[in-house]
Amino acid sequence: MIQEIRDLVSEKLKKLDGVVALRKTDQGTAPTLFQEGDDVSQLVLEPRYPVAKTVSKLQKRFKDAKFGVVARGCDTRALVEMVKRHQIDPDRLYIVGMACSEEQAETCYCAEPAPDLDPWPEADLVGDPVPGAPPNPMVAEYENLSREERWDFWNQQFTKCIKCYGCRDICPVCFCDACSLEDPLWVEPGLLVPDFPMYHLIKAMHMTTRCVACRQCETACPAGIPLTVLYDLIRKDVGNLIGYIPGADADSGPPLSLTLADAPIDSELAK
Amino acid sequence: METNEDKQAFEPKVVAFLCNWCSYAGADSAGISRLKSPANILPIRVMCSGRVSPEMILRAFRSGADGVMVLGCHIGDCHYIDANHRTVKRVTLLQNLLGYTGINPDRLVLDWVSSSEGPKFAKVTRKFVEKVRELGPMAEEMGKSLPASKINVLVEEVTG
Repeated sequence: MIQEIRDLVSEKLKKLDGVVALRKTDQGTAPTLFQEGDDVSQLVLEPRYPVAKTVSKLQKRFKDAKFGVVARGCDTRALVEMVKRHQIDPDRLYIVGMACSEEQAETCYCAEPAPDLDPWPEADLVGDPVPGAPPNPMVAEYENLSREERWDFWNQQFTKCIKCYGCRDICPVCFCDACSLEDPLWVEPGLLVPDFPMYHLIKAMHMTTRCVACRQCETACPAGIPLTVLYDLIRKDVGNLIGYIPGADADSGPPLSLTLADAPIDSELAK
Repeated sequence: METNEDKQAFEPKVVAFLCNWCSYAGADSAGISRLKSPANILPIRVMCSGRVSPEMILRAFRSGADGVMVLGCHIGDCHYIDANHRTVKRVTLLQNLLGYTGINPDRLVLDWVSSSEGPKFAKVTRKFVEKVRELGPMAEEMGKSLPASKINVLVEEVTG
């Protein structure tokens, strides 16, 4: 698969201004913009790293350039959410979709390991798409807990947080220049174990209609906080109450910015 | 051990975000009609219930509120046409999120009170303050730690 992607990328580089993908060098692995003449044998697919924000930044910096990107299922979902929020121009993007393997899908509890290429004007798929893996069993288990048990659980988890902002920095759909998590008005600076978990509640609330379940935040967390248990639960709510699955449908806008006519919610107060 | 007297002594602190065009006027109307509404309410006037961000609600809790109310114009009556459409979605999701983290979602309430609905203002505030009084102080809810329970097993499972 890797050779197939490398060949496709070097062929496309003749026409594109560059392709965003992971490059492995002596210094390590990081997202890079491959350009014509670059050594594509340095292009790698592992470890999993989100590329949506890199693409967005490059597109904003080079207004006329057309880039390509090597993207997994979670990456294309994140790219869709970024398009909806006007952070990425789909007409200036070519996608090399990479289908994850069954083992990879299971590790991520990924419901949609195959990249969805329908919304993109120009895209190719490499690899054989596999069906979705079963969801995280922790979530169902967690739903049976009482309120006291839930608080006890999250209190223990949030206490471990060292506020490194890693979960925000790696998130492929967190893009605001002014972040409320850095605003002393909302999150007290220098306080590691706050009385009230402002940081995590604000982060979770901002994730409600945009979390694409890539689980990068959980992977990045040095304290091992199971953030996606919380995000999976709110994702489910958004699906049940508003009928919105982030990253799935390129045509429906972000529901929290739309009226009830465009994105209704199942609530007595919405009548 | 909590005695009955302690419960009696607890006066809930409730922050109420009132929209300038409907609910704040509704509170006025309740006052003019000499309707009794509880003194536990700390009103904060906002231009629209759609202005109330989740950050503001959470900060009210952080600052020691035992309950938070968001009151705005009825759907269709919003001064800014459809800004309160966002409020209902946002607050509903925040209530669920609070529930998932183990904070009682009943501590946050959203309702619509128009400028002529003085009696409704008095009613919803009274009902909510009573509800929060039953729930007890927020600090107590958050400080309460479970003894060795299945939680520890769960934490081990998650963190390996």
